[in-house]
Amino acid sequence: MIEAHGVSKLYNRSVYALRDLTLTVEKGDFVFLTGPSGAGKSTLLRLLLREEVPNKGTLKVAGRDLARLTTRQVQAYRRGVGFVFQDFKLIPRMTVLENVAFVPRVLGAGSPQMQRRTFQVLKWVGLQHRMHAFPLELSGGEQQRIAIARALINDPVLVLADEPTGNLDPDLSLEIMNLFREINARGTTVVVATHDRELIRQVGRHTITLAHGRIVENE
Amino acid sequence: MRALRYCFDEATASLWRGRGASLLSILTIAIALFVLSGFLVVAANLERQIAQWSDAAELSVYLADDISQDQRLAVDRILAGHDSVVAAREYLSKADALRRFKRDFPDLAGTADGLSSNPFPASFEVRLRGAQSGGDAADRLAAELRQTLGVVDVRYDRQWIQRLSGVAVFCRVTAYVLGGILVGAAVLTVTSVVRLALYGRQDEIKIMELVGAPIGYIRGPFVLEGTLQGGIGAGLALAALWGGVLLVRTRGPQLLEGLADLSTTTFLPPSLAALLVAGGMLVGCVGGFIAARTAR
Repeated sequence: MIEAHGVSKLYNRSVYALRDLTLTVEKGDFVFLTGPSGAGKSTLLRLLLREEVPNKGTLKVAGRDLARLTTRQVQAYRRGVGFVFQDFKLIPRMTVLENVAFVPRVLGAGSPQMQRRTFQVLKWVGLQHRMHAFPLELSGGEQQRIAIARALINDPVLVLADEPTGNLDPDLSLEIMNLFREINARGTTVVVATHDRELIRQVGRHTITLAHGRIVENE
Repeated sequence: MRALRYCFDEATASLWRGRGASLLSILTIAIALFVLSGFLVVAANLERQIAQWSDAAELSVYLADDISQDQRLAVDRILAGHDSVVAAREYLSKADALRRFKRDFPDLAGTADGLSSNPFPASFEVRLRGAQSGGDAADRLAAELRQTLGVVDVRYDRQWIQRLSGVAVFCRVTAYVLGGILVGAAVLTVTSVVRLALYGRQDEIKIMELVGAPIGYIRGPFVLEGTLQGGIGAGLALAALWGGVLLVRTRGPQLLEGLADLSTTTFLPPSLAALLVAGGMLVGCVGGFIAARTAR
């Protein structure tokens, strides 16, 4: 699913966020990216979201070289990728239902299909009963579940999560990880960046450890 | 269609959410277009009035008291030979001139009666053709008449018509210059207001970009928001101008009684009014587009 060959990302002239990174993630894998702050986890996720392109090397997802995509191709690529952030990035003025339905709405999906699919994913994350609530009325764990529902609404082949449990306590973190495991069990490739070693130990999956932009462990 | 509906819903919602700033933007556009269209209305009405006065413009050829019959006929022949300039001519004898004075100024009729002799000269009253009244042909005719024996003076209305025409041109130029400056200011205001709305929705835009929303869905609402501001502003400007024209029509005649007929003051022609609304929308659209360019 993901193939990186000699990927380097340079900020300024001498600061490497990623250096000569080579890795492969198979389709249907569940991968943890870990390492200290500044190791390059978020940079790799940004490259995978095609927010940025590598300065050197090639990064392919499902056989497509991300650096060579046109603007329209980037849009099409991103429609197959779900993402979850540490700070949830929910829209406060919209209800839970509207937040989740926002994605198909801005992609021009039809209304009846959109409503059916929105209700389906909300049910899946267990928050269908809170669909008319606003994000600020929900707990952190609930907000992150909404963000996950939003990431899933397009039925993505790849889900990327950047410190999705960074704002949550350990019990809620495990609950969120279980959701990611369920997503993965349905065949979706999941990449989670986290510095929470204990959580990784509890979930126990393929882990890539980064330090100073290089892979120091791949187990 | 779905994209247009989305853009419209988001644009109207955003207008309402930021109604304070939107109002500022709408008023700026309204003021700019009001000034522009106001000067255009004044110029158009002035030009219409000038055309009317030009049609009624007269050339008076005053004759010497001792003019001979042949000399008078010579003057008449000159006028007859310029039928491209002269619409009609009438000979007024000294007695006719005195009668007309007594009729037009009855209060002064007694004074005229007290004079030992008739002080009014005989004359030809010449009505000029509208298109020619302000032209060189009329100038040449006047010059020729001044050189003719038996003519003591030639007067006609060209100078003040020219001055008024100058005022009309000034109004048009002012409309374009001042209107242009104000329209520029309106574009900047719309850009700033739409950019404010855009900053307020950074998270939404970020999400839209990351889910692969088409650029039209990302930028469209902001462009449409500017366009709506422009359209509403232009509508307000036209409404205010219409109110102004009505006021001039009802109150104006009392102010300029006898000088000009303000009760027939005209509004902008429908095509120009439609163009003004379209222009306002374009101004807003440009402002919205400039602001929306910052959204990828």
